Amino acid sequence: MTPIHKELALGRWHAMSLVEQLANIGSEVSRVTHWHTVSDQKGKGKAVERALELLDLTIADEKNRSRLSELLRLREVFCDTFLGENIYGVSPEYLDEYFLQFGVAANRERFKE
Amino acid sequence: MDIKIIKEKIELDEVKRMAEEGFGDMVKAVVDLEKKVIALGGELHADANGVLLKEGSEQKDVWGINIYPGKPREEWIEFNSLINIRPAVGNRSRGIENEEIRAKIIEIVDKLVQ
Repeated sequence: MTPIHKELALGRWHAMSLVEQLANIGSEVSRVTHWHTVSDQKGKGKAVERALELLDLTIADEKNRSRLSELLRLREVFCDTFLGENIYGVSPEYLDEYFLQFGVAANRERFKE
Repeated sequence: MDIKIIKEKIELDEVKRMAEEGFGDMVKAVVDLEKKVIALGGELHADANGVLLKEGSEQKDVWGINIYPGKPREEWIEFNSLINIRPAVGNRSRGIENEEIRAKIIEIVDKLVQ
């Protein structure tokens, strides 16, 4: 199956730090949250696909081996929150805040004002 | 995904084509408020951001959005990008909290995308 993020899947993604990876996944998760909130199933579906592709690339990244359990739990919770029955009781807002911290960290050095 | 710098006009059909070839329903974009240009495309906003900086843009003037060309004009811009997180200038989210900046972005996009 052709990846959505073709260039990232070819190796660029694995060159990023875990913080940068999670920061970028967080952007997609926030889009999932938006479309989920306004009940736009089409927009939500596409955003879910993008988020999961990036999450799976992160999980497959060898350098993240020591973080695998958290990454796999994150994937499960993400799917449960947006596609499942929310048995873990994690809100979209909580996930957004979780990822936002990585966004702040990733940008702190990148965009010094 | 190719990144195009839009200084004049771009047809809506071209934006739709870029969306279809990329993420399906949307195109990432980075807007320079000073130069009034858009870097359109790319897999990450950081990519388009980098293209604008190489063209002479200053980081403080550029903001990330997503354009959904299949949606009505009043709904087609999503203010959501990792590059927007700038606590130092009071923007601590992926959105754009300053209403004036959002309005300028809408104006630039509406003018350039026909």
